[in-house]
Amino acid sequence: MATQSADLLRTPLFSRHQELGAKCADFGGWEMPIEYSGAVAEHGAVRSRVGIFDVSHMGKLRITGPGAISALNSIVASDLAKIGNGQAQYSMLCNEQGGVVDDFIIYRFTEDNVFIIPNATNATEVFQLLRNALPSGISIENLHNEYGIIAIQGPLAGNVLGRMGLPLDCDYMNWLQADVDGETVIICRTGYTGETGFELVAPVVVLQQLWDRAIYCAAEVDGIPAGLGARDILRTEMGYPLHGQDISPTISPLEAKISWAVGWDKPDFTGRANLQATRAHGAARKRVALKAIGRGIPRAHMDVYSDLELSNKIGEITSGTFSPTLKEGIALALVDSEHDKDQSMFIDVRGKALECANVSLPFIAASPK
Amino acid sequence: MTPEELSYTSDHEWVRLNEDGNAVFGITYYAQDALGDIVYVSLPSVGEELKAGTSCGEVESTKSVSDLFAPIDGTVVATNADLEASPELINSSPYFNGWLVEIEPDVPQQIDELLSSADYNALINKA
Repeated sequence: MATQSADLLRTPLFSRHQELGAKCADFGGWEMPIEYSGAVAEHGAVRSRVGIFDVSHMGKLRITGPGAISALNSIVASDLAKIGNGQAQYSMLCNEQGGVVDDFIIYRFTEDNVFIIPNATNATEVFQLLRNALPSGISIENLHNEYGIIAIQGPLAGNVLGRMGLPLDCDYMNWLQADVDGETVIICRTGYTGETGFELVAPVVVLQQLWDRAIYCAAEVDGIPAGLGARDILRTEMGYPLHGQDISPTISPLEAKISWAVGWDKPDFTGRANLQATRAHGAARKRVALKAIGRGIPRAHMDVYSDLELSNKIGEITSGTFSPTLKEGIALALVDSEHDKDQSMFIDVRGKALECANVSLPFIAASPK
Repeated sequence: MTPEELSYTSDHEWVRLNEDGNAVFGITYYAQDALGDIVYVSLPSVGEELKAGTSCGEVESTKSVSDLFAPIDGTVVATNADLEASPELINSSPYFNGWLVEIEPDVPQQIDELLSSADYNALINKA
């Protein structure tokens, strides 16, 4: 079970993870903590108290210049006109076919200054695509290694921020700034868990002390460090898509049912023509949320069938896991739109048919707001 | 982490010979640690005849699934019913409360051919 660490990138908090006894593994080219005390315990801490995550592997891009926000708005799929200074928005960059190159949160500082947090694996590609697409006069910086990100997630997240002496008076999908040792830290009311949470985007020079303070203050309320294993379970319970699985360059926001994030009324964004055409005809496949009726855990890439005999394939699991909250298997899948959504579906779990119910998201009763 | 009185397989299972001649098996500390939090266990039925080295069930964690292999030939006489409600017993007590299957061995001498704790430790330290 030795982890191959050659050539993997590490965040400035790697030594902290080792000291905390984390099991680390390759996550998009980064050697990241998958779990410390165990994914189920960490999931439970986030749902009932608070968990501290290092998500510094995620990208950081800054776009500046006169009218940066409107220049960006003609490229990305969401409508940035809907947010003001100090607000954040879920967005994505599509390709011309309408597939998703990456999904990310965009933070608006001013109309001339924008911050983007893309996925780790896609950060370089998003940087290059935007650099090529943005007009002259608008500059983009790749700050991947200049900043780290600590996510504090759970019903006691605000309590921990208060103990850390940081400001927390901030609505969901808004952000504010704080001074830490002369460095500006961005505190965002965002997350990927479905709980109340904050993400601290901090210059690497203050990252370790912020992490230590977060771990110390969280421990005072029985909070613990949490790894990417727990994070994946938490986001799947909410039905949040993961790029590379539930959305991808060949899976559109219409298929993934995140077209609520698309600014359909905008005159232009990359992929608009093809997405409008698909929207008019209806997508050939659609995301469904499946809950196992029997015992078994759906996993990504397992096939989905309309019948118990597993003869009529209708789709594939894109994300699947065991929900510690429900104590049942849950999954996101892409299936033929023609399949009657009220009919049972069956997952091929190593040759055995696992019957599933088609349910609505989120799988559990939680809200980040 | 590797009790000396037990025998082991290269599939990371342990076997204990009871005084009544039956054998109990489970997965090792190393195996449960590698799997992570165990959430489902599928075990053979009582009366089922097992052949050494063949799959007889599954142990599934939040991360992955692992086949269970019969360590020796024999007939299943009991399985650990507590695991249906509390599969995490395998994590917290892999050698005792987290036992999996009790079998009546066809050839009790097969147990002598398994790995000693020293052999098993050498195997996992090499990995």
